[in-house]
Amino acid sequence: MSRSVRKLILPGTIAALIVATVLLAPVLPLQDVRGMDIPNRFAGPSAGHWLGQDDFGRDVLSRLIWGGRASLFIAVGSAIFAAIIGTALGLLGGYFRGAVELVTVRAAEIILCLPPLLLALLVVTILGAGTWPLVLALTILYTPNYARVVYAATQQVRGLDFVTAQRAMGTHPMTILVRTILPNVLPPLLVQMSLVVASAMVIESGLSFLGLGVVPPTPSWGLMIRSARGAMEVAPLLLVWPSLALAGTILTFNLLCDRLQSALDPRAVTAGGALWLRPRSAAAKKRITSLEAEADAPLLEIRDMSIAVRDMELVRRVSLTVRPGETVALVGESGSGKTLTGLAMTGLLPDTLRVTGGTALYTTRAGKAVDLAKLDEEGIRTLRGEEVSMVFQDAAAALNPVLRIGEQVAEAIRAHHEVEGEALQTRVVELLRQVGIPDPEQRARAYPHELSGGQRQRAMIAVAVANNPRLLIADEPTTALDPTIQAQILQLFAQLKCDTPGMGMIFVTHDLAVVAEIADRVTVMYAGEVVEEGPVAEVFERPRHPYTAALIASVPEGGAARLTAIPGSVPSPRQMPRGCRFAPRCGFATERCSAHPPPAEHPAPGRVTRCFHWETVT
Amino acid sequence: MSEHDTAAPLVVAENLGRNFPTRRGLLGRAHDVWAVRDVSLTIARGETVGIVGESGCGKSTLGRMMMGLDLPTTGAMRFDGHDLSALSGPEMRKLSRRMQMVFQDPFGSLDPRRSVGAQIADGLRTHAIVPGPEVKAEVARLLEQVGLPTSAAQRRPHEFSGGQRQRIAVARALSTRPDFIVADEPVSALDVSIQAQVVNLLEDLRRDLHLAMMFISHDLHVVRHLCTRIVVMYLGRIVEEGPAEKVFGTPAHPYTRALLAATPSLQPNEGSDADRILKGELPSPANPPSGCPFRTRCPIAEEACASAVPPLDPVGDGWNVRCIKAGPVAATMREVHA
Repeated sequence: MSRSVRKLILPGTIAALIVATVLLAPVLPLQDVRGMDIPNRFAGPSAGHWLGQDDFGRDVLSRLIWGGRASLFIAVGSAIFAAIIGTALGLLGGYFRGAVELVTVRAAEIILCLPPLLLALLVVTILGAGTWPLVLALTILYTPNYARVVYAATQQVRGLDFVTAQRAMGTHPMTILVRTILPNVLPPLLVQMSLVVASAMVIESGLSFLGLGVVPPTPSWGLMIRSARGAMEVAPLLLVWPSLALAGTILTFNLLCDRLQSALDPRAVTAGGALWLRPRSAAAKKRITSLEAEADAPLLEIRDMSIAVRDMELVRRVSLTVRPGETVALVGESGSGKTLTGLAMTGLLPDTLRVTGGTALYTTRAGKAVDLAKLDEEGIRTLRGEEVSMVFQDAAAALNPVLRIGEQVAEAIRAHHEVEGEALQTRVVELLRQVGIPDPEQRARAYPHELSGGQRQRAMIAVAVANNPRLLIADEPTTALDPTIQAQILQLFAQLKCDTPGMGMIFVTHDLAVVAEIADRVTVMYAGEVVEEGPVAEVFERPRHPYTAALIASVPEGGAARLTAIPGSVPSPRQMPRGCRFAPRCGFATERCSAHPPPAEHPAPGRVTRCFHWETVT
Repeated sequence: MSEHDTAAPLVVAENLGRNFPTRRGLLGRAHDVWAVRDVSLTIARGETVGIVGESGCGKSTLGRMMMGLDLPTTGAMRFDGHDLSALSGPEMRKLSRRMQMVFQDPFGSLDPRRSVGAQIADGLRTHAIVPGPEVKAEVARLLEQVGLPTSAAQRRPHEFSGGQRQRIAVARALSTRPDFIVADEPVSALDVSIQAQVVNLLEDLRRDLHLAMMFISHDLHVVRHLCTRIVVMYLGRIVEEGPAEKVFGTPAHPYTRALLAATPSLQPNEGSDADRILKGELPSPANPPSGCPFRTRCPIAEEACASAVPPLDPVGDGWNVRCIKAGPVAATMREVHA
């Protein structure tokens, strides 16, 4: 039983108990619900009357249970009727739009213009007080709520590919509505349902309280509250019981619907508890004193760095070196750990992840060596932007949509330099011009949504290089762009490299052709490990790891009649092979490969591969 | 499929155009925005036509119109002799058995709440492809055809990786035994190694099942590998179309040349970047340039280009180009080493 289903047990049991109790009221050994006992009015709880007696001496417990029958029937009944009608209207209106929308959802919305209590009063006045008029009134009242919620959800879902796929398949629209769209709009529907049941109970109580709902002497919770109010000073407990019943039932239904919603979502199975409440590792964040770097130290030297979430290792013993002026490409498939490695260098790992081992020695402008993997937030903030900077894949998401481009660049500059006014403005325009934004004086005042995808990426690069960082980490900066725009951005990176000769760059990508265009050295990652590294031309010319060789062969370039596909898929971090992680998909694998991980081999100066069979690969 | 003459094209698009008028402000005049304009295209059985272009060039809208999911504003789309816009709902649903689509996003194209088997069985049941009791066996056969274990039928889509989901989507498309498949960027969301699996699968299916296929992509390498004929689109219009080896070997339109040159390659040549990189960006379809739509970015544009939209003129057998200065030029693409 999954976690989300287990969580259903508690509210489910309580709700079932409540429903069973009110349903079984006729057969339960209860006191007569209308039997008066005037001499004992307002008597407290006793063996015969567990919850005491009311102003006519009637048994409170039995009135509570019989009253729940009326209250629950009205609330749940009207919630279900309204749900059926409202869902039908919302589905039809949201799916077919146009005239259908007008006669379904929009027509239902007219009801929303009327004050709810007045509408209920109107219906009850016309039809007379009683249970069924009340159900009708509440159904009319809540139908538009459902219609609106379902309408909005339907509109969201109908544009999704799997609905289009059903249409393309020639499925009848009504079948699509029931089979495909309805299950996908259920979650908001359930939330709405829990709200409506609660609110209907309150309105039922209110109307009964006003004398317009259930007619006495039939008990209902609203009526009980009404009569108890008069005797509040004599017997305050009389008010407590129906109020408790009302509040408890409403809360139970809310909880049940919430949990039902998460149980019905197949994707939520893995969602755990509040991860952010876990304490962050204190050991990993302790401050270290920076040391004097050696004279010819590389800009960044990552040695055996591991990154883990709880006990699951996502990146294992990664080593990587970036020299000043060098562009290192970090290439691999999704799940290879390349992005995490990049994020760790700027201290931007998600809170649930942490660096669990190894060092990442960075040589600052001042010639100090600091370990980026162990730096605390304070320490890394002084480096961020000024020394190490990052360009993200999705510029539309990374830029603040409500700030002008110029302000965002200025913000980056002000974080490290005390420039203001005219000088700042000049610097902003100069930066925007440097990254190739046409008409920078005007464009500095544009909001991100007013720029095209390529221009937004340029603006983000401007933010990243605003303080002349010495290490630029670019995480798939061209993946979301069109070929001609990608070529422009790659050219911009080449230009930046040219203009700032000392700047090192880590270029994270999955595209081997981009690596060939931009990088000096390449580090190939697979399943969280570095499998091969070396100068780009040499590695592409003669890969020494079967994974690199297979990746190159799978690029549809050249005249191969058939592409070489790597069979299978990347192993999940929970089930990593014991030996070489690529062994299960590798054509060269032998017994030795699955027994223990291969050591680092050096086929040539400056090259590393982790494969037992590196000599026979190519 | 044997009762028809295989030489006649299965799919014929005639002067397709799609306008999405937009209104500025509450009372503003409706503004014409042509996503696709004047596109004529034929696809025969056993043929894969690649549609190439950048985002906003109208290639996905064209794909939806070819499927009958969107009706053209102008022109007509004929499938095996039937005009799609003249068909009634039930007739269209019946015909759609023979046309299927594979989408770009393998995470969005499958219903997250239903088992894989049920989704593949939908098409089988809707069109009564096999009798009820045999549905299960047919689902298993389809899963095997796309290289998945038959046990996959009971699982939900979120339990599969991107490449596997794309195989499921292909299996679903194949369930109705279609004659024509539109694949809208089916591999661009996948990793390289997985991409090759899906490309190979599509290639095998097209050959084994003798399908007509329309392959929409912005990845020129994949298109070149898979397609027999290429259509290059820019701002809603076809700028060049022809046999793959002609269009990619000796591209005649300056946009095709620029697109080829911009595509990164494993063997970058040491030519000057400035020559091969196109300036500027795609103009807005709401406000297209006068005359040739490409002239604002074209390296060889001249005054005459602004006066009228150039006609789609033949420059060879089945090879047409929309450019007044067209001429085959040995490709500058670094890819032609093969």
